Amino acid sequence: MSSLLLLNGSPRGTRSNSMKMLTRVGEGWVHGGGDEPEVLHLALEQDRTRAVEAFGAADTVVLGMPLYADSMPGLVMGFIETLAPYVGREGNPRFGFLVQSGFPEALHSRPLERYLAKLATRLGCEYAGTIVRPGGEALQVMPDRANKKLWESLREVGKSLHVGGEFDSLVLSRIAGKERLSPTMVRVMSLASKAPVTEFYWNGLLKKNGAWGKRFDAPYASA
Amino acid sequence: MKITIFNGEPDASSEFDAYVHEVAAQMATSGHNVETIDLRDLDIKGCSGCWGCWAKTPGECVKRDDTEQTCRAVVHSDLVVLAAPMVMGFTSALLKRMADQMIPLVHPYGLIEGGEMHHRPRYEHYSLMGLLLGAGPDTDTEDIAITQKMWSRTARNLKTRLAFTSVADRPAKEVAHELATVA
Repeated sequence: MSSLLLLNGSPRGTRSNSMKMLTRVGEGWVHGGGDEPEVLHLALEQDRTRAVEAFGAADTVVLGMPLYADSMPGLVMGFIETLAPYVGREGNPRFGFLVQSGFPEALHSRPLERYLAKLATRLGCEYAGTIVRPGGEALQVMPDRANKKLWESLREVGKSLHVGGEFDSLVLSRIAGKERLSPTMVRVMSLASKAPVTEFYWNGLLKKNGAWGKRFDAPYASA
Repeated sequence: MKITIFNGEPDASSEFDAYVHEVAAQMATSGHNVETIDLRDLDIKGCSGCWGCWAKTPGECVKRDDTEQTCRAVVHSDLVVLAAPMVMGFTSALLKRMADQMIPLVHPYGLIEGGEMHHRPRYEHYSLMGLLLGAGPDTDTEDIAITQKMWSRTARNLKTRLAFTSVADRPAKEVAHELATVA
């Protein structure tokens, strides 16, 4: 009894940060002795249909997603709605989650984490925990080797999921990093009145797209 | 007062849908300028995280769908009411799909507010937000608290605040009156 279903809830599909992270969780699961996981992308229509059925057949499910407008993406909520028939069913899978956000602090993802824990309870699933990772957009710009520590931690929680039935909470807090900005960071960033790192990243994209001159456009300002 | 209701009820024949329209009618009777947008009738393509609205066509979704209408309403109303039935402990996916496409209203640039990183505003005015929930048979107080918490953070990142939350278990007239007095 060691089948794992990885559900990628990123609207970006296969080329997403959530998927990069889920892949490492799956690797850790296999290192721990689990079977090769099945991977489904909710952004793909055929996978979405299959996901509802696969959820019922799996022993363990990990649903990963980016934080969108401070909660789950609409795509993921649509999938959650289709899980309604599983509420209270005997033999529901163990259920764990992964939430990654572009904010530098973990606190932004905590209300969603609370929702997901309640969702597992509502379904009658054993809750395996939620991997919370801020600063996610950096994964798109940084070379893979720069994320070596993160990948290793994700493999660790994947392994603990197989061995102990839940994500190792110590490793989860390592992955989550800063809960909130330190007073020094707040002071420095407030003084600069902008976050230099973020500006650098976005300005680069704007220039590349020839949209630099339009960056302060407010197209809906006139009635 | 200009009040826009984003109706996230997918089922046009439900009791909650009738309730939302009754609240709208009551507010209009009191002399407010009320518009109800039934989200189920809009073409909402869904955010795919392409960052086009931040880095290609700043302020506008590259998909050019009907969320232009909901975005416009946020910067031209005094109050926006997010109305939706509760499904599996949260507001409907229909409402959330629309909300995901509100990010063109802010900048990708960061801003420190209350010691936290948030988005920088693109507009001078953002309407207040209200939440009107249609409770399901399995909805409990914790579901409502979690839902309220997530939407209040969404409102905060949209440079406004969630000023009202109610479940649709009270007379529409009462709720209409309270909504009209928050802004």
